[in-house]
Amino acid sequence: MAQKKLSIRIDGQLISAEEGQTILQAAKANGKYIPTLCALDGLTPVGACRVCLVEVSGVDRLFPACTTPIQEGMSVTTNSPRLTRYRRMSVELLLVERNHTCAVCVSNGHCELQSMATALGVNTVGFAYNYPKLSVDMSHPRFVLDHNRCILCTRCVRVCAELEGAHVWDVTSRGIHARIVSELNEKWGQATSCTNCGKCVQACPTGALAEKGWAVEEMVKKIGTVTSLVHRRGVQV
Amino acid sequence: MSTPSQVPLPTEEQAYIDNVVGGWTGRPGALLGILEAVQERNPHKYLSLETLRYIAMKTRTPLSRLYSVATFYALFNLQPQGENTVCICRGTACHTRGSRNLLQSVRLDLGLAVEDSDSDGNDADKLLLTTPDQKFTVRTVACFGQCAMAPVVEVNHRICGHATERTVQREIETIRAGE
Repeated sequence: MAQKKLSIRIDGQLISAEEGQTILQAAKANGKYIPTLCALDGLTPVGACRVCLVEVSGVDRLFPACTTPIQEGMSVTTNSPRLTRYRRMSVELLLVERNHTCAVCVSNGHCELQSMATALGVNTVGFAYNYPKLSVDMSHPRFVLDHNRCILCTRCVRVCAELEGAHVWDVTSRGIHARIVSELNEKWGQATSCTNCGKCVQACPTGALAEKGWAVEEMVKKIGTVTSLVHRRGVQV
Repeated sequence: MSTPSQVPLPTEEQAYIDNVVGGWTGRPGALLGILEAVQERNPHKYLSLETLRYIAMKTRTPLSRLYSVATFYALFNLQPQGENTVCICRGTACHTRGSRNLLQSVRLDLGLAVEDSDSDGNDADKLLLTTPDQKFTVRTVACFGQCAMAPVVEVNHRICGHATERTVQREIETIRAGE
């Protein structure tokens, strides 16, 4: 299956990429960095976090790099003051929506949301905090689900459905009421389809899904285990 | 959420679901059609967890996917519904014409809690309350598209424009008297 080659420009540099690739894939293949939160190598992109927004010349609106397929002659800008402003706003809105209290979080120091906020220079948040009352599900013997840290990136949903094939997780309700839910809103420990593989825990960018037994700052995620599994199995998205 | 019924599904309902699922095989978007048909047949117009479990088994859909779909769409109810539905619009136009007071008075008339505990006092949230005798369900919607007649109340799928506390009271009395 010979892929048609397309030439695009990323930050002014001429790049040859395969047809059907997304902007993010083309950029990655050529060593260009685009910040992401909800994207994970080997899982279908959903474009939930809006951190990977890029500018395409000739079009006013911004495009999420993870879901936008490349087109011949496309010229993409991955970094500009405008993009930083929007990315910063996306991260601020994520921080505002739940109780992201880094100081007492298992993932403090190993959190993708935290490092994204640091990288974008989010040291203050310009919106009012939501402070929702959320539960922590400790029913699973090995893992914890803490809704307070969840950013609804749905990586756990996708890794469970696409890699493990169990589809324990999904998102219930919508808007501000959206939550990660296992099976029919059961406790995780009671979910019979869960195989206890822990892929969701490793795929989770924050401390929302963590292993039990770790104290603050101790939960180091092994994202590499998920992505290497993708490459071993040759998963095509 | 509490489970309204833990009893296994009656065989005739199982047969009906089998039939509906069979009719939809191989067609995309089948899940919504199946859920709608099954809910419509239920006397209390809702989908019990047992029903969802059975549909999941028959359609080979993951349980979480089914729950996600059933909670995403306002059309599906997971709790038994009352025989009569009073639907109050909480859209902007109706809000400015006093639909909040209307909602409060309906809740008082039907003896439903005026402030529900988990809404944090934010009454812009979607609301769904059923009287203990299963006669009335009060719910809110964002807009009926009848803003010129604000405030709008829908009683048993009939739109009543320019509603006042008195007219809604009368509607409820009429329903009560008709029984």
